[in-house]
Amino acid sequence: MNVLPWLIITPLFGAFSMPVISLLGGKFREHWVVIVSGLTLGIAAKVFYTIWKSNEILVYTLGDTNPIGNGVKFPIRIIWEVDLFGALLALTITFVSFLAILYSLEYMKHDTGLDKYYTLTLVLELGMLGIVITGDIFNFYVFLEIMSIASYALVAFRNDTWEGIEAGVKYMFVGSLASSFILLGIALLYGQYGTLTMAYLAMKIAENPTLISKVALAFLVGGLLFKSGAVPVHMWLSDAHPAAPSSISAMLSGLVIKAGGVYAIARIIFGIFNPGLHSYLKAFDMPALNLNTLGWIIIFFACLTLVIGNAMAVVQNDMKRLFAFSSVGQIGYILLGFGIGIVAYGDKIGEIALTGAVYHIVNHAVIKGLLFFIAGAVIHQVGTKNLNELSGLARRMPFTTLSFIIGAAAIIGLPPLNGFASKWLIYESSAMYNPILAVIAVIGTVFSLAAYTRVLFTFLGVESEKVKMVKEPGNAMIVPMLVLVIIILVMGILSWQISDKIMLPTAKMLEQLNGEYIMALLKFMGGG
Amino acid sequence: MIAFQFVTAFLMIFMGLYAFLYKRNLIKLVLALNLVDAGIHLLLISLGYRLENGLLPTAPIYTGYETLKGTPMVGPIPQALVLTSIVIGVCVLSLAMALTINAYQHYETLDVSKLRRLRG
Repeated sequence: MNVLPWLIITPLFGAFSMPVISLLGGKFREHWVVIVSGLTLGIAAKVFYTIWKSNEILVYTLGDTNPIGNGVKFPIRIIWEVDLFGALLALTITFVSFLAILYSLEYMKHDTGLDKYYTLTLVLELGMLGIVITGDIFNFYVFLEIMSIASYALVAFRNDTWEGIEAGVKYMFVGSLASSFILLGIALLYGQYGTLTMAYLAMKIAENPTLISKVALAFLVGGLLFKSGAVPVHMWLSDAHPAAPSSISAMLSGLVIKAGGVYAIARIIFGIFNPGLHSYLKAFDMPALNLNTLGWIIIFFACLTLVIGNAMAVVQNDMKRLFAFSSVGQIGYILLGFGIGIVAYGDKIGEIALTGAVYHIVNHAVIKGLLFFIAGAVIHQVGTKNLNELSGLARRMPFTTLSFIIGAAAIIGLPPLNGFASKWLIYESSAMYNPILAVIAVIGTVFSLAAYTRVLFTFLGVESEKVKMVKEPGNAMIVPMLVLVIIILVMGILSWQISDKIMLPTAKMLEQLNGEYIMALLKFMGGG
Repeated sequence: MIAFQFVTAFLMIFMGLYAFLYKRNLIKLVLALNLVDAGIHLLLISLGYRLENGLLPTAPIYTGYETLKGTPMVGPIPQALVLTSIVIGVCVLSLAMALTINAYQHYETLDVSKLRRLRG
């Protein structure tokens, strides 16, 4: 039996049965949400293991066994096409979401409207899962909107405070405009090529690359850069991520800007506008798109993002805002990896850069999840996130401080933690491609080091009035943090093995030197 | 020559963008978003329109009869896409209006440039 559809069905059923389950009482609701998200995690692990073992792309047709229509020679049905990159992200998404839900059991205990909260959280999770498994570009848009609407609502969840509402309004308007751009790009592609299946679209574009396809690519990448919070348009991120409840901030910073941002950029560039395919066409003097320009544009925005994001983090007084700016900075590293992967496509350097970028997506999801959980624990116990009032927390909350030290060291990229391996791969590839890029990347890290050292000194400083009576949070908040700390340590110790065994095949599958993404569809069309 | 309906669609999109960039009132911003969406919907719908042999196209309903008459059918996929997109648009619209109401309760103004307490 194919488990792939259950990856969407389980959270969808869980989300919309939540109001009914809530009638039975709060305890049932908590058990139900943990069971549903745990089950989704299991399914994602199964899908990942299947694809990792066979190293083949999984194609699933909705409502049929074959994507090709009756009597026609091209795919007309909606397909889901999962490669190792999508499966790896699905695993990361379900894992961090599971921990975030576990964490909310205690963190959100004092809030009302919790059935809506858990429904929205599961809808957010399923939107992201849909994005990473889909192989149809309009289906991608639908899942992107499901994810976006759930995240707007969750940012403004505490609607009795002005903070959440203001951040929600800003996030909503910017995000909706970005979604409109993405839809416009999709409409242009459909108008030009008459298909929505990504792999078939790739073939059609290679046959006839027109100006319209370039304009559509610009709209798609522009809209997705908005959604991933790259620098000229990162303002919504630094407002929205701190204003959300901390468990949601962990999901937004760790997952949403990846699945709906950098993942989608990578999928559209490598899946639909494959640079290898176009350089191959160019070698035979055929009309082809030049994707190097796009690669340099992405590298430019990446450098801007990683310097400004990390630099802005240094001057923040609000702990969650600091972490949010740090997320902007880390997105810069991921974009840098993808940018070098495009301009050095087919090269050893490009492969290292892509490996680093994919690895950094997973690492950052885990680390930023931990950091926002820590911020949540501090807010929950102390009642403030202002760094000036949090001095001397280390003695009262030793576990939280220790977790923070590990998380901060990992995100700065100190060995032997997991952030080191991925950042090293990105530095290495950028130094081999162009040393100036490596210098810029290191400057970003220096700023990041300054920002986190500042928080650490605050935690270790003289005890202030506010933290005199503070205790550690309860078990439901400690356990997710502990799990993430252990994951960071284990991934740090085994970092190069993970890089070779999981991340390198993933990067190869994303890069698809032999056009595997298209081949998986051609198998159904015959003659492939 | 560019078809008339494409020009209209892009005109609508740019009108929406203009309003989005230069208007301050939150309700006007919601309307601007909807104008952009409507422009894209018009573009998609007009992509599916076909005029063959001077015959007006019919609705894309397969009954086995229309092929006998020889009239073309409009593309069914753009219509499905627009229906989906309209549903999404309604969700965004209602959430935006709900947030606007909440923003008015907290700030007692609809001017988006006054929503500036988050700083730092």
